[in-house]
Amino acid sequence: MTEIRPLIAETVSRSFGDHTAVDSASLTLVPGEITALIGQSGSGKTTFLRLLAGMERPDQGRILSGETVLASARQHVPIDKRKIGLVFQDFALFPHLTVLENVMFGLRALTRPERVQTAEQWLERLGLTGRRDAYPHHLSGGEQQRTAIARALAPQPVAILLDEPFSGLDPTMRDRVRDVALSAVREAGIPALLVTHDATEALVHADTIAVIEQGVILQSGPPEQVYRQPTSLDVARALGPVHKIGASALPADWHTAIASNSETLWYRPEAIQIGAGKALKVTDSKLAGPVTELALSLSATETIYAACQPGSPITAGDQVNASINPALFFDFASKST
Amino acid sequence: MPRWMPSLTSIPSLLVVVLVGLPVFAALYAGVAAGDGAAWDHILQNRLLPYTFTTLLTLLLAAIIMLALAVPAAWLISQYEFPGRVFFSWALILPLAMPGYVMAYSWADLMGVAGPLQSHIRSLTGLSARDYWFPNLFSTPGLAFVLASTLFPYVYITARAAFSMQSLATLEAARSLGAQASDLFWRVALPVALPAILGGLCLALMEAAADYGAADFLGVQTLGVGIIRSWSSFGEPNTAARLALMLIFIAGMFLLAARWTQGGRGVQQTSARWLTSRRTALPRATACSVSILCTIILLICFIAPVSRLIWLATETSTRTADLIPLLRSTLLLGVFGTVMAFIAALIFTLATKRSNTLRLSTRLIAAAGYAAPGAVLGLGALFILRETGQALSGTVAITFLVWIYVSRFTSAGVEPMQATLDRLPKNLDNAAHSLGSRGILHFLRIDLPLLTPGALAAGLILFVEILKELPATLMLRPFGWDTLAVKAHAYATDERLAQATLPSLLIVLAGLLPVLLLSWRLSETERV
Repeated sequence: MTEIRPLIAETVSRSFGDHTAVDSASLTLVPGEITALIGQSGSGKTTFLRLLAGMERPDQGRILSGETVLASARQHVPIDKRKIGLVFQDFALFPHLTVLENVMFGLRALTRPERVQTAEQWLERLGLTGRRDAYPHHLSGGEQQRTAIARALAPQPVAILLDEPFSGLDPTMRDRVRDVALSAVREAGIPALLVTHDATEALVHADTIAVIEQGVILQSGPPEQVYRQPTSLDVARALGPVHKIGASALPADWHTAIASNSETLWYRPEAIQIGAGKALKVTDSKLAGPVTELALSLSATETIYAACQPGSPITAGDQVNASINPALFFDFASKST
Repeated sequence: MPRWMPSLTSIPSLLVVVLVGLPVFAALYAGVAAGDGAAWDHILQNRLLPYTFTTLLTLLLAAIIMLALAVPAAWLISQYEFPGRVFFSWALILPLAMPGYVMAYSWADLMGVAGPLQSHIRSLTGLSARDYWFPNLFSTPGLAFVLASTLFPYVYITARAAFSMQSLATLEAARSLGAQASDLFWRVALPVALPAILGGLCLALMEAAADYGAADFLGVQTLGVGIIRSWSSFGEPNTAARLALMLIFIAGMFLLAARWTQGGRGVQQTSARWLTSRRTALPRATACSVSILCTIILLICFIAPVSRLIWLATETSTRTADLIPLLRSTLLLGVFGTVMAFIAALIFTLATKRSNTLRLSTRLIAAAGYAAPGAVLGLGALFILRETGQALSGTVAITFLVWIYVSRFTSAGVEPMQATLDRLPKNLDNAAHSLGSRGILHFLRIDLPLLTPGALAAGLILFVEILKELPATLMLRPFGWDTLAVKAHAYATDERLAQATLPSLLIVLAGLLPVLLLSWRLSETERV
């Protein structure tokens, strides 16, 4: 087996005509970790994945596996020589091959009994044993998904790249398929990139999150860090809702606790905690699944928004007591937004 | 290697591009380079203008007849329930199996003075042949009728698809706003379906412009007839070249128009759950008259002419020994032409799949061959022969004929294969490459098995198209290589219609295969 090495992008750029899809992006995918790349559609995340995979060639920058250069302005190792596993949103299973044959497709150095045996092990690992002789069009979405993962992992690739692999699935089965699939990816111990536009998916399942916007990787780090210490408004928004408020509108003791000189502040709704503290009037209340979203009146003109899980229902017109978690207020003062 | 450099694998497809494109460009070049001066005045006044006018008039009349035949039938079949609806929905495609010239032979016999129609009129009324007026098939309107009755299924197919793809919600909304059934058709359904209908019409007119056999038999002086006459009867190659230029211009315009209207097809696509599947049941009397209308169309365009051919064939004793050399040359040319055109189509399909830069140029060239009528391509081949100092005989002639088949029909073979590829997930190739698949193994393990259904359809379509081809075969075949189509045409123009029927029937029989395949594929993709 080949030595497991990180997959590295060094200031990689790619343009299509006037449009810069990826703009000097750098990212290191560490073996055994799942790195989530999140961004809106058109942010360049899929192009970045295609560059790593070898489906596109970078205009500038380099792509390396450890010390080995896979792509640069002059060099280009084609996709079929990179040994990088790919999982697509539409799965791209071979329609003329059974599940077993799909998984065997990339196993070529072995004898046929060995290939069958290896493929069967992967099917078992992903809970597909009963479906080995089925054709892709007979499979459910989740089974297709797991077949695609097994097919990508079976040849022991040096890295695996997943392009929105779960967005095509039915929400009720998505969590279960995702747990099975991602634990198989993690156990393979190779660098893994999960491209997604689902912030929750990234926060729950990734070891590292990178946020990409207009082709630029704005920030990368552990989920906790990227969520709680975003370096820009774009990053903060990419991972969850944020609201804007003028510093002067806040009660004096809240302002002191936040300790920022900035005129404009941003906060996550869960920064406003209900239970004790300043008495505020509720102007609107909406039940949004597990949390309740409240609009609280700070003054005649200023409203602050909170997300909380109250013990009993709160309705508009009620009085509540609120305090803040200053760590979830951001000023972005020293950084560009 | 810089991106713009053609890779080694693109060389075969470049070769195919040259092969397919050369005859068209030879004909075009000859047309542009044909001399000026006094001769040009003669060509313009006595040939180009009259031939062009007749062609355009034929096409205009054919367009009107096709719309009248196809659009009401398509609307009724897509929206209403009536006896025989499912049968008519596919049976109305059958006329496509009849080449224009076969339709012309059969209707000429049906409508002739001694034919069954006029005999019945006389026996019913007691009049003699000079006492009444009867429509003359040997005329421009007659040709328009013949071409329209074989080609209207192009319009019918696109119109039916457009009507049944229309969002049910749009029609319901119109109903809720108080629109009656006729309002619904004229103010909502027809305007929405119009681009698709016109697209189908343009393709049909392109085919009609390419006709030679029916026009020649009916004595109508269209451009297709003019090209071959100018070359072989008048000995005026310059005239032929100018006429070819005009014909390729007309056919090319229709192809462009068809492509252009298809570009706007996205407008009428809606989400699947709004696709109409509910049809209104008609009151009994109305339902019966709709069934009768569809029966009449089918009778005129398929049943009557085919039955007449069968009847004539059983009446006439044709020695089967006479047929054997015909079948031999038809099969040999068909198989040889199919194999070559199939290889060209396969190379095209795989090349356009791999490289975007090639896509446009290959499409363009293939479309040029597709739009160019057989007479034009035959002329192109004759010009190339003349320039290279080759004589039209033996192996050279067969090589050139097969070359023209490749040039004319490659894009007909590309289409079903392309359709097969378009239905596959986009990332299939990338998935295979990421697993180390490449080169010849990739072709054997991925391309070939996936293309198989489309490739079989392509092979069948190519074989039948080549078998039906008349003008180029007529111009280029060496001595002793008459095909069924050529022989049928020779008998028919010799006024030996009875002898023409057996070869004609065999052509129709073969032609039914791809039409049934088409009808099956349509019912797979579209619930009618």
